[in-house]
Amino acid sequence: MSQCDAIQESIGRWLDGELKATDSEAVRSHVEGCLACGAARQRLEKIQTTLGGLLRAQASQLEFAPFWREVRRRIDEKRPWHEELIERVQSQLTAPRLAWAVPAAIILALGFISYAKWPLGGQVSNYASVESIDTHGRSVALLREDETKTTIIWLYQDPEGDNENVEEATKSGPAF
Amino acid sequence: MWKKLRNPVLLFSLVFVSAASWLHAAESAPQSVQVTVRSILAGSKSDEFDPKLKSIEQQLKPLKHRSYRALKDETQTIPWQGSKAFEIPGGRSLTIATQEFQNERIGLKIRLTQGDKPLIDTTVKIPNRGNIILGGPAHEGGSLILSISAATQ
Amino acid sequence: MELSDWQLVEKCQAGDADAFQVLVSRYHQKVFMVILGLMRNREDALEVAQETFFRAYRKIKSFQGGSSFYTWIYRIAVNNAIDAQRKQKRNPLDFHENIEGIFEARNEVANDPFADVHDRELRENMSKAINELTPEHKAVIVLRTIEGMSYKDIGEILGCSEGTVMSRLHYARKKLQEKLRAYL
Repeated sequence: MSQCDAIQESIGRWLDGELKATDSEAVRSHVEGCLACGAARQRLEKIQTTLGGLLRAQASQLEFAPFWREVRRRIDEKRPWHEELIERVQSQLTAPRLAWAVPAAIILALGFISYAKWPLGGQVSNYASVESIDTHGRSVALLREDETKTTIIWLYQDPEGDNENVEEATKSGPAF
Repeated sequence: MWKKLRNPVLLFSLVFVSAASWLHAAESAPQSVQVTVRSILAGSKSDEFDPKLKSIEQQLKPLKHRSYRALKDETQTIPWQGSKAFEIPGGRSLTIATQEFQNERIGLKIRLTQGDKPLIDTTVKIPNRGNIILGGPAHEGGSLILSISAATQ
Repeated sequence: MELSDWQLVEKCQAGDADAFQVLVSRYHQKVFMVILGLMRNREDALEVAQETFFRAYRKIKSFQGGSSFYTWIYRIAVNNAIDAQRKQKRNPLDFHENIEGIFEARNEVANDPFADVHDRELRENMSKAINELTPEHKAVIVLRTIEGMSYKDIGEILGCSEGTVMSRLHYARKKLQEKLRAYL
């Protein structure tokens, strides 16, 4: 990018007074000494002046009295109750409020899902559950111990004998 | 940074990403399950309690044996939908297969065999980082008790 | 002694309609000018300007003075104009009315210093060139041109950053220069 290109990129901001003092001075001194950049400045100023002149000319013909009469008519006009209600609701649903409402709604939804997934204040059953059991002909006992929330599967020995210690094992079965 | 967080759009994005991660983490299956099988000998000839079993002392109390001795601990990592075999004293084998993970509960399929003979087939759901007790087979004059615990990884 | 904008606002909030009339008299031309720059024709701009003050009256009690009154009223004006323009896009016939409006303006300023042909053609084509910008680009260039507002104030009115104002202005000016090069 040449110096002129860089200066012409900044002319708008310079004319708007939005450059820092040092940059402003640099642009000013270049523009005053450069034909191309001087022409660029003139083009921008012409656009501004023409547009401003056009709009000011139109606006200067705007008479206050009829304008105010129309505004007053609208103010005094009784509006249907449903239009009033809609306007009130719409005035509450401003973009910033909606933007905050969305994360708030997500947090509430998460809270609800958490509660639904883990009811009773988030307590899951700590007991192991037995879904199915096949003891191949043997007797079995299922025990749940409340204090430690322990599930116990106790397999009784086959009286026909799994091993030589059947009798003792049977005797030493759990006392529950 | 805190000023930026006041931007509702940024906060919304943060909440949305957190929510999505949380839900994903809550529902997606873990990579594997670490299973520990503790083999314990319960007897009635003496009053002794192996200090190694202190952590599950309360769980063993309902069984009302006089003595408890730790025989063997074995830990294996079982991949999801996979199975592993644990060697159990007395020529037995415990095969555990991982089934499902839902609501912080691990579904396991457990088979205890003596040689080729199946002693018990059961499907259980254990709380994550919890355990289940399986006992009864005779061993060395007492009874064999297995504490099977599982934790997702 | 002339009351300040804020003093008038406080009176309006207390129910004094005459105070609101004073505010309207202060700003009606400026607001109309801004809206005219954004709209395609004068009649629509007038309608939107009146609606702007009507809505301002309805909302005056919620105005807490966080910004200046003129920033607040311009914000309402620009939003109304942009909304109206978007609805107008569905009716392309409005463009013809706009051409009439431009010629009307030209005749009304026949005694102005811009007498030569180039300037006349520039004014004639200015409106067309402006209307080819998006509402957001139109808004920045109109606010800057008419009011000489700072980028900060423009950003406050349009609800965007100074950087966005700067880049939109730069783009709008570039586009206008391209379209109007033959007349500049």
